[in-house]
Amino acid sequence: MNTKYMGKRLYRIAMQQKAFLAIIIMFIVMLFSGTNFYSKYNLVELLRSSSILAILGFGVTITIICGGCDLSIGGIMCLSGISTIMMMDYMPMWIAIFISVLIGAFIGFINGFFVVHQKTEPFIITLGMWLLLKGICQEITGAVPISSSNMKFMMIANGKWLWHIPNLIIIMLIVFVLMHILMRYTQFGRNCYAIGGDYDVAAYSGIRVVWIKWMAFVISGATAALGGILLSSKLNSGSSVFGDTTALIVNCAVVVGGTSFAGGIGGIPQSAIGVLVFTVLDNCMNMLRLGGYVQQALKGLVILAIICFDCYSRKRKREDV
Amino acid sequence: MNTQLILNKRHKECLNENLVLIGIVILVVITAVLEPKFFTPGNLTNIMRQFGPLSLVALGMTFVIIGGFIDLSIAGIISLVAVLTVYLIQPLGQIPALLIGLAAGALMGFINSLILLFFGAMTQAEALFITYAMSLFYGALALLSVDGATQHMSWIKRDISIFNEIGGGSIGFVSVSFIIFLVSLVILHIFQTRTYMGRSICLTGGNKVAAELSGIPVKKSIMLIYTISGFMTAVGSVVLFSRVTTASPVLGLNYETNTILAVVVGGTSLKGGKGSVIRTMLGVALITLMSNCLNLLGVSTFIQTMMKGAILVIAIWLDNRKEL
Repeated sequence: MNTKYMGKRLYRIAMQQKAFLAIIIMFIVMLFSGTNFYSKYNLVELLRSSSILAILGFGVTITIICGGCDLSIGGIMCLSGISTIMMMDYMPMWIAIFISVLIGAFIGFINGFFVVHQKTEPFIITLGMWLLLKGICQEITGAVPISSSNMKFMMIANGKWLWHIPNLIIIMLIVFVLMHILMRYTQFGRNCYAIGGDYDVAAYSGIRVVWIKWMAFVISGATAALGGILLSSKLNSGSSVFGDTTALIVNCAVVVGGTSFAGGIGGIPQSAIGVLVFTVLDNCMNMLRLGGYVQQALKGLVILAIICFDCYSRKRKREDV
Repeated sequence: MNTQLILNKRHKECLNENLVLIGIVILVVITAVLEPKFFTPGNLTNIMRQFGPLSLVALGMTFVIIGGFIDLSIAGIISLVAVLTVYLIQPLGQIPALLIGLAAGALMGFINSLILLFFGAMTQAEALFITYAMSLFYGALALLSVDGATQHMSWIKRDISIFNEIGGGSIGFVSVSFIIFLVSLVILHIFQTRTYMGRSICLTGGNKVAAELSGIPVKKSIMLIYTISGFMTAVGSVVLFSRVTTASPVLGLNYETNTILAVVVGGTSLKGGKGSVIRTMLGVALITLMSNCLNLLGVSTFIQTMMKGAILVIAIWLDNRKEL
């Protein structure tokens, strides 16, 4: 009796967290592959390669929980990396980074104006904003990749700190903890969930809906800028082709993790898992030496499977009621 | 006093309804004044050729968006249809290859709809990510099937006169691709406004539950919109690779964003249930004319991308303002 109940409960937990299940399956498969997957170097590298996507994902999660979405992050990360490298010639590095994050936040502010204040479709406005930012990036760099001669800038993302943990992982963890506290333990976070659940009800309950949803876009812009700066620092280059496909991948990862695109459901840890699915998958496929085209097909199938199962469980729930 | 107010309101409504048209007229007048080359037959043919692929794909996408869904798989479909068709010309000849290519496009759209229906994905967001995954999958199939190599039409030894005609032919100064577009426009417009299924698609987009309860064939509508979208994407793909005479397995990359933007700028609402293929034509016209005019005026492509983004954001914003 008891074991049966436990089994049922495990099944339910597994069904709620399909992305986590996918990661476990991949880890088990890699156990038998006879590759260096379980070496310390690879596991650290796995986290390191997921950290930039994760930082972008945390910001996007907040907008999605509020019932929006943000496709302009590709453009923001591209612009912030370029602007940091360009501004570093004229001012200290930290000020350049700070201003770039502010630029990202300001673009998020503009997105918020159109989406929240003027009530346009977030999907299409942020898509247009991405095109606009891409044009700006191409114009200021002449579509040529630029790089910085300042070694300190490179060391932000490539350096190591305490106990030889890469800086990228530390920054990602700090952003993770801050965002998690913000969404879980503050009034702002709770209000975000309320807004995503039902906008009108939240407005009638006295939540300052416009201000809070607007701030969600500003936060998303700022984290996207931070991610872009880290990417530029990791590669020591800023180019207008960065972030062409990032926006869709990140939004997809957030949804794969279990944050509902309709808003109101989800959280920062879920997004971290969603991003990990993609990076673990990439890492596994590289370890197994699959070709790039097969990798793309498998990635498509994994996204398809996870989202389809999500849809199917929702459909079952709808029909049960 | 009162009549004055009503008149003002009517003017405003008229202005709001035809914002895109007004934008196009302003654009054409400014360019025609600044650059006399604009109204030469050569440039007009050129504009019509530029109209080609984007407009055809956008026509199909219009139905998906009216139905309240979205289709990101067109990037993959364009690539796969192009690779498949060009590959088949050598063994089968041009007409069977063309027909198989178009059928494959329709089939891929149909598969999308089957997946959506089977897993019960009834919202736009779910459709967004499922079709995105399908796009990755179709794109990967295209890459795998030719091992990433670009197919050149000039290497084909058989007759490829149809594709040459589609790509470069013209009757008078009207290009063949534009004629294909006009024919599709007329057929799809009649389909949308004069047939039962066309109206069903509109009603499905308006409110799925209400449509289902009132006996509208919602599932059939969903299958139909994705099949139309797949088919029109295949037509667009044929026009595209005929024009560039090469079929690259990444031909369709980033086509989906341009298409969605064109449809939405035309005035078809992403919320579904509202819009028409005529409006889409205006949206595509605005985008193509804009790039043509900016090219004639000698504006750099970087600034063009920027202006495109800015104009799109403003157009969508203004279009939305009248609903407030």
